[in-house]
Amino acid sequence: MKRSIVLLLVLISVVLLAAGKLTIAVDVEPVGLDPHLVTAFASHRILENVYDGLLRFGENLQLLPNLAESYEVVDPYTIVFKIRRNVKFHDGTPLTVEDVVFSFQRILNPETKSPAAAFYQDVEYVKATDERTVEFKLKKPMASAILPNFAGVNSSIISKKFFESGKNLQLETNGTGPFYLAEYVAGNYLVLKKNPHYFIQGQPILDEIKFVFMPEELSRVAALKNKDVDMAKISEPLNVRQFPQDRFNIFKSPTLSYYLIGINTTRKPFNDPRVRNALNYAINREAIVKTVAFGEGVVAGPMHPSIKAWALQPEEFEEYKYNPVKAKELLAQAGYPKGFEFTIVTSQRYNFDKVAQVIQAQLAEIGVNVKIELVEWGIFIKRWRESDFDAFISMNSGSMEPDIQFYRHFKTGGSTNVFLFSNPRVDELLELGRSTVDVQKRKQIYDELQKLLVKESPVIFLYCQNQFFVADKSVEGFKLLPNEGLIFLRETYKK
Amino acid sequence: MTFSYTIRRILVSIPTVLLVVLMVFLAIHLVPGTVVDMVLGTQNYLTEEQIKDLYRQYGLDKPLIVQYFLWLRNVVVFEFGVSLRTGKPVLQLILSRLPVTLELAVLSMTIALSLGIVLGVTAAVKKDSFVDDVIRLFSLIGISSPAFWIGAIFIVLFSGLFKGFNIFGYVPFNQDILKNIQSMLLPSLTLGLMICAQIVRISRSSMLDALRQEYIKTAKAKGVSRSALIFKHALKNALIPVITISGIQLGYLVGGTIVVENLFALPGLGRLLLQAVNERDYPVVQSIVLFVAVMIVLLNILIDFIYTLVDPRVELK
Repeated sequence: MKRSIVLLLVLISVVLLAAGKLTIAVDVEPVGLDPHLVTAFASHRILENVYDGLLRFGENLQLLPNLAESYEVVDPYTIVFKIRRNVKFHDGTPLTVEDVVFSFQRILNPETKSPAAAFYQDVEYVKATDERTVEFKLKKPMASAILPNFAGVNSSIISKKFFESGKNLQLETNGTGPFYLAEYVAGNYLVLKKNPHYFIQGQPILDEIKFVFMPEELSRVAALKNKDVDMAKISEPLNVRQFPQDRFNIFKSPTLSYYLIGINTTRKPFNDPRVRNALNYAINREAIVKTVAFGEGVVAGPMHPSIKAWALQPEEFEEYKYNPVKAKELLAQAGYPKGFEFTIVTSQRYNFDKVAQVIQAQLAEIGVNVKIELVEWGIFIKRWRESDFDAFISMNSGSMEPDIQFYRHFKTGGSTNVFLFSNPRVDELLELGRSTVDVQKRKQIYDELQKLLVKESPVIFLYCQNQFFVADKSVEGFKLLPNEGLIFLRETYKK
Repeated sequence: MTFSYTIRRILVSIPTVLLVVLMVFLAIHLVPGTVVDMVLGTQNYLTEEQIKDLYRQYGLDKPLIVQYFLWLRNVVVFEFGVSLRTGKPVLQLILSRLPVTLELAVLSMTIALSLGIVLGVTAAVKKDSFVDDVIRLFSLIGISSPAFWIGAIFIVLFSGLFKGFNIFGYVPFNQDILKNIQSMLLPSLTLGLMICAQIVRISRSSMLDALRQEYIKTAKAKGVSRSALIFKHALKNALIPVITISGIQLGYLVGGTIVVENLFALPGLGRLLLQAVNERDYPVVQSIVLFVAVMIVLLNILIDFIYTLVDPRVELK
């Protein structure tokens, strides 16, 4: 009797918790809804709650099974996924291996122009070997290196039937995720509603999430204080201080995205690695974190320091100890004892301009005269793409997989190697890293690569800033991921 | 007479509109960074060939002049194209955002005109008094304060003072009138006050001018009451420059909506335009500019008619 009462109370409380509607103010609204096409960050944040991939990220960005209930790297060329049973799309049709194979065929089809096509360019074939198994065969031995891509929004599984019925996925959605898209009023708000058939029992907890688009931070701060919204994205660390911790829950996490100085390694004097490395010694990263991010950030090496499996920690690099004397020595060796002058191109986004100002002041101390050229974002991208700069300040999105983090940036001729950097040993290590399966050996390869990248300095890695979501005290269960994903909304509830 | 005048005005306006649209077309296309650059950002995963394909897909591989005439040809048959970024038809986007901006424009113009004329006339009638000084100071502050600042002050004040007041979260008029008015109040006050400041200045000086005229003295000598003197005789004449200024302020209104809609998170045309410019969504930018240019031309024709109503001496030929 007692036990049944307790059970009843638990049930009632679960129902009460479940009956919740959360309103979140975000700065940017999605640009398109097709999971295989979207590049905008804001689209990813919505779609990761509507669609599922074969894998997903856990709290520490570890890879977890998702639509695949298990997976196995059979050999460096082969990955096998076992697809979960009894999963339904939002329109009620069941998920089959055909949908999985079709999704990847669509991604790989050059007509689709999916950004994810590049992740899978070395896939030889994808096929269903039985009604629950999908096999990926690769042309190159890099199975471990491509695994994290299966957790990304661009690798979502879509319904073959839905797509072939002529639906425009940029405008309509049909996923298997914890929420379905119920309403989208462009420029105003977007409503996600609970998917009652979601394959994880008890999730999502909330009935409804309303994303309200508020481009101005001032408006988001006021809306949260005024209780117009339950939760808001706050970008400026200084603004977070306006929210007393006894009335608000502050969710924060350092992002994987990192600030960097990118250098054109073909222009004088930066064609000499010693000159580039001198900047490493002359820059006081802690001072930048303190002044620009008000202490809300972590100094970072080539990989995010929290990815302990791969990252060398900042203190492991000699260059990270602020040492202007050594910097001057290196400049003298390279033939610039009196310093030199160069231009940093940057844009007024994410405080890039402020980072540039601090660096300008720091480099002045070793006799290097920096000119800052502030340009509009579109102009910045054009100049970035054409390597039309001495140096630039920007932010790169990071990854917990070293191959994804480094390959396209630093491989000679890589798709984002705008630094025009070329180093035979780096190329060799990059190829070795992606084809090695043994974790210990891979770790050694990437340790050497990280040391070499800091020494050769095609970019100066600076820091990762904390990201913030501030919520009313009643909001619980939410967690922020370093990749800025909002997948923990499925575990969020209101007290 | 007025019919042929209207037709002539509309015909004369066509080159103006075309010129505006051409200038905007050139400006947005000459700014470095195309929609393809914005799509790819600094996370470029595509090969050169795929990028070229995207240019072809968006029609950006053709010479600029060809792109312009292709777009113009489509506009003639009311085919405004599809947003490059969201895949939605541009006409549908504009029509869905129009009610918000129209409501904002009408409310702010109403606030600006009613408050502006009352304050301006009061200041003129009470010239050099304390009231006059206060009103002039008010209009000076209004002219010198940018809309984003006035708006920010309102947000901070209202969110602190009136808990539960629906500052953000636009609700359409036909869904919930009270919430609609709440969400529109601060934005229209912000924009209204900005324009009001100009109207106060003009109505004050033109009222002062009118009050100095001989016919006012004559009317006064004939024993016309003070209120009749002000409202019946002087005001009507003083309004003509106010109407002219209101027409010019329509242009400022368009600029103001961009700022105010962003600040108050209103889903209007101004915000759509800003977003489209940032994303180089060419069809959206061009169509909105065309639409706004046509609206301003039409409203100015309407203002010409209002002249004839206020001042019988004005005749449209």
